[in-house]
Amino acid sequence: MRRLCLASGLAFLVVFSLGPFVWSFLTSLKGGRELFSIPPTYFPQSPSLEHYTGVFEQRPFARYIGNSLIVGAGSTLIALGAASLAAYALARLRIRFSGAFEKALLLLALVPPALLVIPLHDAARLTGLSNSRLALILIHAALNLPFAVWMLTAFFRGIPGELLEAARLDGLSRVQILRRIVLPLAAPGLAATAILVFIFSWNEFALALTLLTRDDVRTVPVGIAMLSGVTVYEVPWGQISAAVVMTTLPVVAAVILFQRWIVGGLTAGALKG
Amino acid sequence: MTRTIVLMTILAVACLPAGGCGKDDSRGGGPAKGKTVVRFLEGPDNGGGWKEIVSRFEAAHPEIDVELVEGPASTNTREEMYTASFLSGDSTYDVICMDIIWVPKLAAQGWLLPLDDRLPPNEREKFLPGDIQGSIYEGRIYRVPMRSDAGMLYYRSDVVTTPPETFEDLVRLSREHQKPPGMWGFVFQAKQYEGLVCNFLEVLWGHGGDVFDGTGRVILDGPEAVRALTWMCGLVRDVSPEGVTTYQEEESRHVFHEGHALFMRNWPYAWTKAQEEGSPIRGKVGIVPMVHAPGKSSAATLGGWGFGIAKSAKNPDAAWKFISFATAEAQQKTLHLRNGAIPTRRSLFQDPEVLAESPHYPDLYKVLLAARPRPVHPRYPEISDAIQRHVSAALVGREAVEEALKHTAAEIRKIVGR
Amino acid sequence: MRHLYLLPAAILVFGILGLPLVLTVSRGSGHFAALFSDATLGSVALTTLAFAAVSVTLEMAIGLGFALLLQQTIRARGLFRAIALIPWALPTAVMAMSWRWIFNDVYGVANDMLLKVGLLHEPIAWLGRPGTAFFALVAADVWKTTPFVTIILLAGLQSVPRDLHEAMSVDGAGPVRRFFSLALPLLRPAMAVAVTFRMIQALGIFDLVWVLTGGGPADSTRTLAQYVYETLFRYLNLGYGAALTAAVVLGAFLLASGVGAAVRGKPVL
Repeated sequence: MRRLCLASGLAFLVVFSLGPFVWSFLTSLKGGRELFSIPPTYFPQSPSLEHYTGVFEQRPFARYIGNSLIVGAGSTLIALGAASLAAYALARLRIRFSGAFEKALLLLALVPPALLVIPLHDAARLTGLSNSRLALILIHAALNLPFAVWMLTAFFRGIPGELLEAARLDGLSRVQILRRIVLPLAAPGLAATAILVFIFSWNEFALALTLLTRDDVRTVPVGIAMLSGVTVYEVPWGQISAAVVMTTLPVVAAVILFQRWIVGGLTAGALKG
Repeated sequence: MTRTIVLMTILAVACLPAGGCGKDDSRGGGPAKGKTVVRFLEGPDNGGGWKEIVSRFEAAHPEIDVELVEGPASTNTREEMYTASFLSGDSTYDVICMDIIWVPKLAAQGWLLPLDDRLPPNEREKFLPGDIQGSIYEGRIYRVPMRSDAGMLYYRSDVVTTPPETFEDLVRLSREHQKPPGMWGFVFQAKQYEGLVCNFLEVLWGHGGDVFDGTGRVILDGPEAVRALTWMCGLVRDVSPEGVTTYQEEESRHVFHEGHALFMRNWPYAWTKAQEEGSPIRGKVGIVPMVHAPGKSSAATLGGWGFGIAKSAKNPDAAWKFISFATAEAQQKTLHLRNGAIPTRRSLFQDPEVLAESPHYPDLYKVLLAARPRPVHPRYPEISDAIQRHVSAALVGREAVEEALKHTAAEIRKIVGR
Repeated sequence: MRHLYLLPAAILVFGILGLPLVLTVSRGSGHFAALFSDATLGSVALTTLAFAAVSVTLEMAIGLGFALLLQQTIRARGLFRAIALIPWALPTAVMAMSWRWIFNDVYGVANDMLLKVGLLHEPIAWLGRPGTAFFALVAADVWKTTPFVTIILLAGLQSVPRDLHEAMSVDGAGPVRRFFSLALPLLRPAMAVAVTFRMIQALGIFDLVWVLTGGGPADSTRTLAQYVYETLFRYLNLGYGAALTAAVVLGAFLLASGVGAAVRGKPVL
């Protein structure tokens, strides 16, 4: 009974999560005429990789993926670093105005990214950071910090107080407690935060579009928007699907590794002390 | 502590290449000192025509460095990029490659340089009249047309021998030959977006109506408009699939291209696609100007792109040199042959090389001559949204025709303040 | 000294998000009165609220179910977790276009499958009717953002100490009772974070609507964020756009923190 429930639940999960993605994958293998045949075909009748090669002929996609990885990894590390410190203080070091600080973060999480386009465009120009991935890294980190701080605060609060008290009696400093006790125990929360922050950065479009206008620094979502047909109005749907499939696989791989690395790394750290 | 150090090192490594790139001048590839830079933003340069034009220009003008920024394919997105740079008051772009409907809006903000002295009347006459008309705001010209575009009617020449001329013809022929759901009569663009306005205006103009009369009064609730919108609403579920109210250009083209519709309203690009090798409707398609009411004449909504100079341009003369070079006959021909762009200079529609590549151009020329710009007003985006909202509501049966038009007219009156 | 821990986060957030917000809102002074006579604002706010309520509720329910599934000891658990994450990893604008093809009346697969199964007798223009367009929008959003909830709740479940689980199952408590009396209370903080930030995202929904329906038909899916964007970028009405932004940010803040506090089981505000 339990196994049946589990199996059907998992089957639903797989169909739900993969359905549209599989559709994109099948689309990416269909030749020109089959893409919009009426009624639609499900499996490509003469599968071809023309859209995949077309993507690389049109745009430097390996470059875009590299840039997205740099921006995603950079902003995730900065956001997690800053958020761990802040969340530790908010959750564990009775400080004044902690409630107000949390509320202020929430308020700032509501600022629509589109609104930031103009002031940040200005700021980047004044600091000489136009077309710099560093600017985008900092911005993505900031956009994610409210979420990361809230998330980690919730997880840090869940750690039993006796453990921290014992560590303090052992003579550990606050930084040591954070590093050796709090972070390892909150590893699931850290990993989840890292994954969500990384993917946010991977998909962010509005700011990446206006801040990075040179092809050698552009990121994946902007790159996909650059795919075009031979004529205006034409949407090269086969190529767009191919690009989506190609750019999703590395992010899933990166996320799996990311999770292992964080969980593994922190647990090891905790044991070695 | 080691772990923190490792973390910081990884961080630094991740940022280093980024910081390195940040050092580069925001001017991009870093032109040689003393060179004037002219920068503009266009869509992706798929055929390579733009790169050829730019290198030809730079060979002729070694003192000027033209930087082509290839932006996303979506025009909305490029408008946003230009707007962001204008609003932040910097001079990222010297030359503005703009859609015809941006002209009044950008000019009214004072972001463009007038080009009256640089483009004298005898020069203007060499371009298609609508393209020039749409480049003028309050008596001054701000744009030199580069690529033209206009809506027209496609028909299946293998099914229909005489193409329709009037709105009644179109519906009659559709009913005669259609067999839904395998074969529909007429597909067009009726999603709530800018394209809906283009489609609606063609029907409105074809009925003799308009948004404003000659004195600037809003007449969108007049009898012609009622007839126009009534006709349009009658199409849905009769000769057009219900989903036409969700179609943009590509959705309607897919249906027509796969042989499931007899008529289609679309831009000229669909012709090129229809004639491609392997196209199921190759050699079975004709184009005519959009249908009209008896006694009235056809009208096409004008699209198209052209160049203006930003007021913040550091060197307007260099920018102008590039604009006049790019919009000259030879370069427009290159862009046609390589990127499929429709020229804006009349002479090119008789050019043998152009005609060899695009034998349908005599027909297209007729459409372009009858093409009209959308209402020229600095607050056009708001006017357009009002039309979109209520025409869409009428099409899906949320508002009655008269009611929808009354609301639209009232909203537009409020917007233009009269 | 202890406040120094807040410094890096504070500098980044207030510098990069705070300053632009303050600058924008200050530009809105003198335009706030107009908010109260703006009929469009009322209608888009209602649409947005309805959208946020329906989609966040569904996402929390499905997300919790998925998290419980992925918490079980099953073979290839890592793979299933990665699969569950895929919708969140796909670029919104592209998937929105994909949904547009899927929901197409003539060549879309949604109609084709439903017709084949016999649930439909004639094709439906999903995005062409106000009611079904709203439903399609919710479906696309639920699909896209459920993984966000799943991941957070899964992390929450993993933090529930295993020996507690074991202690209770020794006591003879069934899995359902174990969940309600043990896991759920411990899961509340994670649920509060998920619901708060999903509310924030849903109230600011833009890309998906912009590509999928453009706000139509008949404005039935136009949202607050789209209206703010249009006012600022298309109408170039900076003053009123600033006032709108301030109002939207404040309203969404009160709502999101209220809902979050309710889920956490704390007094609202």
